[in-house]
Amino acid sequence: MNEFYITELFFGISQVLLLVVLSPLIVGIMRKTKARSQKRVGSPIIQPYFDILKLVKKEEVVSDQSSWIFRCNPWVNFATTVSAAFFIPVSIVYSPFGVMGDILLVIGLFGLGKFFTILSGLDVSSSFGGLGSSREIMFSVLVEPALLITIFVIAIFYGGTNISMIVTSANEISFLASPGVIFALIAFFIILMVETGKLPFDNPSTHLELTMIHEATVLEYSGKSLALIEWSQSIKQIILLTLFVNIFIPWGISDNFSLTEISFGMLFIITKIISLGILITLIETRIAKWRLFRVPDLIAISIASSMMGVIFFFI
Amino acid sequence: MIFPTEINLLDISAVILLIATFGLMVSRGFSNWVNAYRYQTIVLAGIVALIASITNIWELYIVSALTFGIKAVIIPKILFYVTKKLDSPIKLEIYPYISMKLSVIIAALLVTMSYFIFLYLDIKSNEIIQVFLPVSFALFFIGLFVIVSRRKALNQMMGLLTIENGLFLFAVSLTHGFSLIIEIGLMADIVLGVMISSILLFRMSRTFDSIDIKNLESLRDD
Repeated sequence: MNEFYITELFFGISQVLLLVVLSPLIVGIMRKTKARSQKRVGSPIIQPYFDILKLVKKEEVVSDQSSWIFRCNPWVNFATTVSAAFFIPVSIVYSPFGVMGDILLVIGLFGLGKFFTILSGLDVSSSFGGLGSSREIMFSVLVEPALLITIFVIAIFYGGTNISMIVTSANEISFLASPGVIFALIAFFIILMVETGKLPFDNPSTHLELTMIHEATVLEYSGKSLALIEWSQSIKQIILLTLFVNIFIPWGISDNFSLTEISFGMLFIITKIISLGILITLIETRIAKWRLFRVPDLIAISIASSMMGVIFFFI
Repeated sequence: MIFPTEINLLDISAVILLIATFGLMVSRGFSNWVNAYRYQTIVLAGIVALIASITNIWELYIVSALTFGIKAVIIPKILFYVTKKLDSPIKLEIYPYISMKLSVIIAALLVTMSYFIFLYLDIKSNEIIQVFLPVSFALFFIGLFVIVSRRKALNQMMGLLTIENGLFLFAVSLTHGFSLIIEIGLMADIVLGVMISSILLFRMSRTFDSIDIKNLESLRDD
């Protein structure tokens, strides 16, 4: 019995490491896809690793007007995203650390990281930082109800907010549990685009600071801090993609600890995450950035869609 | 892995129809409305074919093909032709009476309402009625809502066509098809209706230089 727990813990930790290590690769693949669809050659897909290495070597410049919030924000961000990764089942249907928290805790951890990012954007009192902070807080306030209703839809269909439980029952049912889940899928997809800063909402790769949202809050960072922030952003992205894949299309995930099933599960999950990333990028290349005050329209769609999911539970 | 059963398939097709109807609510341009209507009708034709395969009534296959041919091909063609000929410069619904975000949420509430209305009805004899009757109510209400909340005449036509789709679904799911001749007559009716409202659109656009309904409110030029 004791040995079983050790293997369980080993797999849990290796899942987290996999997410942490693979996350820049997904960013690289998405950038490459975007470049290719715009008829550019693009940087190689392992470029984000080089970026992080280069940033770690560089000297860090910190404004002497800033307080401790500015300095501890990258660490808070990194710590919250990595600890959120512990609750995500990746290639096995449950995470060994799932007893300690559910999907609401994951959202809370993301919220904590976002809170510190917003504060640090205000902290250095540069004009772009304040602008980015106000936009970021506007988006997170709007997304919050949509996200919570979506999670409640998923929770009532799959019996609980514990992620391991959700993924287990999603894997058992395998096809759609109920048509209501389709609505939850649409709502969650829109939320995924907002949270990862994708195009109709935010354009992180622009040169113009006025159009940035997330990037404007971290404009003042350099060196190691910037590396940490970018890395934690990509970890957040891969966590959300994994959640999406495992809740809505859990085919091929393994439900026991045999080595072959787990390696197959690994293969499946990596393929699915990469193809979801490519799909998101292709959607991104087809649309322009929306005016800031039109964005609530899309979030209203998300809210309405998850409301319909609740309706479909009661009929 | 469990594959979808027939009833599950019914549910899913109803959901897809609702999503296509929501597409009409959220789109802002002329071509988007027409395309949303086209998707909605294609899904509707699929649903009719599904009902036909469940009930084994061969006439419904013809009705499904007719729905596809007339509503998803000919009517959009007419409407695109009309929009190309219109010379009013504004082709977007910029300031509807009720804003987009509010109207999406209201549409979700209308769907809820139609399901609650269905709870109080005493016609739940088979699965097809149980699944599609509330959806047809929802289509009816959403179409009505589009008519009262939008300014542009073309958008209101889309609302009317959505109501018509809802009535069609209501009739098919309740009776499993009228006799074929009535069905064909209904289709011809719709085509004529669209043509007449297109002529009205032309006249409006020529007289007022726009297709905003607001222009029709005053009785004479002051």
